[in-house]
Amino acid sequence: MKTIEELNEKKIPIVRIDKSLEKYKSMPIFQDKVDMANEVLRTVGLPKLVK
Amino acid sequence: MKLPRYELTAEKSLMVFEFTSEGPKGQIPKLIKLSETALKGFYNLAFGDKNLESGNIDDSVISNNGDSEQVLATVVSAVYAFTEMERENWVYATGSTKSRTRLYRMGITKYFEEVKEDFLIFGLKEGEWENFEKDVEYTAFLVRRK
Repeated sequence: MKTIEELNEKKIPIVRIDKSLEKYKSMPIFQDKVDMANEVLRTVGLPKLVK
Repeated sequence: MKLPRYELTAEKSLMVFEFTSEGPKGQIPKLIKLSETALKGFYNLAFGDKNLESGNIDDSVISNNGDSEQVLATVVSAVYAFTEMERENWVYATGSTKSRTRLYRMGITKYFEEVKEDFLIFGLKEGEWENFEKDVEYTAFLVRRK
């Protein structure tokens, strides 16, 4: 069995699910940031990916 | 990651995370939200303090709880969890102020060697995306799993 310290060294964390957080999905929190992100998408777009 | 981080809770789509900052100012609940944007697969990342009385989230408040590194490490781990579900998602972030954006840059710089193994990391400078480099000032950041 792994220790908490070993688990915490993993890059992908263990996440406990809490249904009460679902209400925040539809709330317009950080909407100003989302608007700014949309403006960057509109004016700059995505970076070019080198394959 | 080697740096300590807080335990995360989330709703099942991993678009809203919660954790509790602990320090000299006490316990401060924080919320991380990945919001959909106009482009499918492109998400805005923001986080802030949860006001327990009003239920509002404030991303401009400076908590000064002496744990900014642990907070940033926790946010990075949330991005790992979110992009693990859909590896082609883009995650965009910018600070609410210039100094907050600088804090994000310092955070990315701190984890850069570790994170660059797993993510493509871009910085927005003068209206163009460029590969993230340390010690360059950017106005926004964009990451995607390799």
